[in-house]
Amino acid sequence: MNPDYNKQLEAAISRELKALPELTAPAVLANRVMATLEQRARVPWYRRSWQTWPVAMQAASLVVLLALFGGLCLGGWQLSQTGTATLALHRVGEWFSGLSMIGNTFNVLVSAAVLVVKKLGTGVIATCLVAAGIGYAMCVGLGTVYFRLAFAKR
Amino acid sequence: MTDAKQFEVFMRNYQNMVFSTAMRLLTNQSEAEDVTQEVFLRAYERFGELQGSPTVGGWLKTVATNLSLNHLSRYRSRWTFFSEIFTGDPDADGEPEMEFADESNAGEELEARDRHAVVEQALQKLPTAQRVPLVLYHLEGLRYEEIAGKLGVSLGKVKTDISRGREALRKKLRLTLELENNLTGNA
Repeated sequence: MNPDYNKQLEAAISRELKALPELTAPAVLANRVMATLEQRARVPWYRRSWQTWPVAMQAASLVVLLALFGGLCLGGWQLSQTGTATLALHRVGEWFSGLSMIGNTFNVLVSAAVLVVKKLGTGVIATCLVAAGIGYAMCVGLGTVYFRLAFAKR
Repeated sequence: MTDAKQFEVFMRNYQNMVFSTAMRLLTNQSEAEDVTQEVFLRAYERFGELQGSPTVGGWLKTVATNLSLNHLSRYRSRWTFFSEIFTGDPDADGEPEMEFADESNAGEELEARDRHAVVEQALQKLPTAQRVPLVLYHLEGLRYEEIAGKLGVSLGKVKTDISRGREALRKKLRLTLELENNLTGNA
């Protein structure tokens, strides 16, 4: 395309758009924002986000959290020095033994599914896949129609 | 004056600017209102810094732009696929073009009607893929590279979309350019 034409077009569109005045915000908008702010102000400080807590509370909570973290580290180190840790790990291992049973059940289900597929044959499976494809295409089509109807610019 | 009162005055000074930014990107009144509300709730958290700052307008515009773009990508991206299926020619999107009188007196007709309302309407009727980069370029003053970064698309696509958007607007507004006139005159 002609570069001069492009430059002129850019300038013309820029002129048109920059000449647009600001749109008027709905009158209720400011009241809505102020009402939300009032509602937020009524929430006690400890239920707001940490960044909005009073500085003294932020500092105090930080100290408490650091102390807890230090205590946890110290406790962990103390545990590792005694035989209690090994015992605790053994207990935890017992709790998780139930998970292997779930794995076995899953394996049995997968084997059963494979067996069913083998028995049915490729024809039935292909038909099912085609039906699923048609169903999917219908969903896409209906979704498109819905979108075009719902979001059509009037 | 209390903080709340000062903030209300501040908000009333800037609400049209923020709302316009959101509205031109989203073209949906209620979504633009939600974005404007969110912008001012964020502004309240930093009111101490923003109050009296010379860059407050820029800050508000940037936040409004970013929130609008987030909104578009979060709630509309799933529909982009559908919306673009049948939109081969962006100008022929099934919407009736605005009615103007004969091209010869289109300018006068536009003068007679509210020119700004017509431009605004034409802008809002552009497809999102063209309108958003066009608004970011011409109204928000972003460069092509910045727009590509914000929208997560290639530089080439941004340039193409903006170019198509301008052309579509030119047609809708029946803008006549000097170059065209010269070409027609020479022919």
